[in-house]
Amino acid sequence: MNEVIHILLADDDEDDRLFFKDAFKEIKVKTVVHIVNDGVELMNHLLKEDITLPHILFLDLNMPRKSGIECLTEIKKIPHLKEIPISIYSTSASDEDIEETFVKGANVYIKKPSDFSTLKKILTQVITVNWQYHTSGLNRDTFLLSI
Amino acid sequence: MNFRKIFSSSVFLKSIFIISISILIFISSISYKHSVSLNDSSKWLTHSYKVHLELEQLITNLKSAESGQHGFIITQDTVFLTPYNTAKKEINISFSNLKKILADNKKQVSNLDFLNSLTTSRLKLLELALNLSSEKPFNKVLLGETMLLGNEVMLKIDKRVDQMIDLEMQYLKERRAKYENEISFTPIGTLFILLFSLLVFIFSYYKMNKDLLNLTKSNKELLIKTESFNHAEEIGGFSSWQWDLKTNKLIYSKNNYKLLGYEPEAFMPTLENFFDLIHPDDKDIILENRKKILNTNLSTNINFRIIRKDGSIRHWVSMSKLLIDSNSLKIRIGINRDITEQYLNNIALEEKNIALERGNKELATFNHAASHDLQEPLRKIQIFISRIVESKTSNLSETDTEYFARIQSAANRMRVLIDDLLLFSRTNKAEKVFEKTDLNILLENATQELAQVIEEKNAVLEAAELPKLNVIPFQIQQLFINLIGNSLKYSKKDITPVIKINCKKIMGWDEPTLKLDAAKIYYKISVKDNGLGFEQQYAESIFTLFQRLHQDSEYSGTGIGLSICKKIVENHNGFISAEGKPGKGATFNIWLPV
Repeated sequence: MNEVIHILLADDDEDDRLFFKDAFKEIKVKTVVHIVNDGVELMNHLLKEDITLPHILFLDLNMPRKSGIECLTEIKKIPHLKEIPISIYSTSASDEDIEETFVKGANVYIKKPSDFSTLKKILTQVITVNWQYHTSGLNRDTFLLSI
Repeated sequence: MNFRKIFSSSVFLKSIFIISISILIFISSISYKHSVSLNDSSKWLTHSYKVHLELEQLITNLKSAESGQHGFIITQDTVFLTPYNTAKKEINISFSNLKKILADNKKQVSNLDFLNSLTTSRLKLLELALNLSSEKPFNKVLLGETMLLGNEVMLKIDKRVDQMIDLEMQYLKERRAKYENEISFTPIGTLFILLFSLLVFIFSYYKMNKDLLNLTKSNKELLIKTESFNHAEEIGGFSSWQWDLKTNKLIYSKNNYKLLGYEPEAFMPTLENFFDLIHPDDKDIILENRKKILNTNLSTNINFRIIRKDGSIRHWVSMSKLLIDSNSLKIRIGINRDITEQYLNNIALEEKNIALERGNKELATFNHAASHDLQEPLRKIQIFISRIVESKTSNLSETDTEYFARIQSAANRMRVLIDDLLLFSRTNKAEKVFEKTDLNILLENATQELAQVIEEKNAVLEAAELPKLNVIPFQIQQLFINLIGNSLKYSKKDITPVIKINCKKIMGWDEPTLKLDAAKIYYKISVKDNGLGFEQQYAESIFTLFQRLHQDSEYSGTGIGLSICKKIVENHNGFISAEGKPGKGATFNIWLPV
């Protein structure tokens, strides 16, 4: 865990981007956080040739231009991107959204918490999971991450 | 059945008719024969009489010739020769007559021939005697001998004539006997035949009368049936028609004219004038159907529009089937039905459905707005507050900290409120999938959800065995969560909260105060606690949305939980009620149908 963890966030909400960035500043893990403002920007970024692919992608669902679900579907179709662990990061936790993103291959579903310390706890937990190991035991009941 | 009876009776009547005609022919032929034989017999009578007369005449003439000869011989006066000469001529006439009459009887002909020769010799002898007497002097002896011989011949003639008359009489007798024999049979035979035909006629009269009565009765029944059918057509808004496929003749029922907007029998129905009444866009449907009707024996069912006499457009459905009968009858019989009202109702219903769907969509949009758009700013407020409160760098006064704590509490409450409201609206709209579910498992799940609170409050849960019921599982689980959660929330602080869950099977009529279905089986599930309770007067209002009994912030709920309970029970066609006593506890009763 001494390596730097590359984290990518796609979220259109400025406040949420701020909380996200602040949370990682306070977490005692070496991370590089890259942030894009919506789905179109996300896909453009991922398809650039000279980037380092993130270790984990946090994806908001409700974004203008291209929604999180659309991005998820596209990413899972692109061979060199489909192995990136994806964490859904959304305000709503409706059954339909959870079901759909699970079926489409997201690894974990985070409902944006309503206080800062919980946010830090959740993010820490997500980035310290060994996703390669975790994926094999994936099931619907543990998909929605709750602290 | 009736048809068969009448048909067989017509065969019967035909045979009666034929029998009667043959009897009449038989009777008239017999009568004819009788009159012919009667005629015959009278002819024969005349014949005999004529023979008799001619023979008598013959004898008389011979006698008169004889007496004339005698007179001449005695007086030698030629005056006496006149009857003699006349008699000779008459005798010849008589013979020629007799020859004619007796020509067909050989025996009489030979008799006549013999008589003729006798008469000739007699006349010769007479002449000889005349000649002898006129000689002077005459030979007295020869004359006497000649006259004696003449007398002998005369006797022979008499005898022969008598023989002939006797024979003729004998013939007459025989014929009369034969005729009488024939005639004597006839009256009995005729009487018998007449009686028989009388019987036949009486029987056929009886039969015809009976048939006529049956026919009148069937006619009456048919009339009643036709009328009641007309009545049914008028009330039911349908009509009937017949199409003879052989003659192409159409017959409409009264109501068919009315459905077309005409008076009954207002026109002669034809295929063409019906076609003219079809809506232009639907004419193809009719043509297609006619083709089908002519080529198949299948029943058909089509929908089309017609334009009435007054120009209004009506929607019809027409059903027809083929009627084939042993008498090579081939008729399509059909029913038309005016379905305009249903059609318009359907359209109205569809429009309402569309409006309803639109409403549902709007509700879904609202739900999304509530869940996402309302929660988002609230969540941010909460995070910002938590950052300020947790921040080590900010220097908040004691009052500020207190205020922030209150803001945080208010924001939390608002979040719970939004969550509960969402839950309530989901209870309304979520698809209602009923499954046979073990309620014990649902209760177990509910208890697990509440495990933390139960532990904190040290509460005791006593649950009886619950049944398996056809329910919407997640809703019943929510019901248990809300009811037990409610009991836990309003528990007393100084004693151990005890929540008892009981279950009883009852019949609908056991609870007359509720509007239960009397003949149905229900499960009455009660959740009883030993908490704060409430005044019985609020038993109804606690189920109302946003209704709260406790002002104390410690017990503040959203006022939605019990409303959700009520909604869930109603979704299951059940009932819920509450009983309470302040300070003693509350009991919630639920009735769920099997």
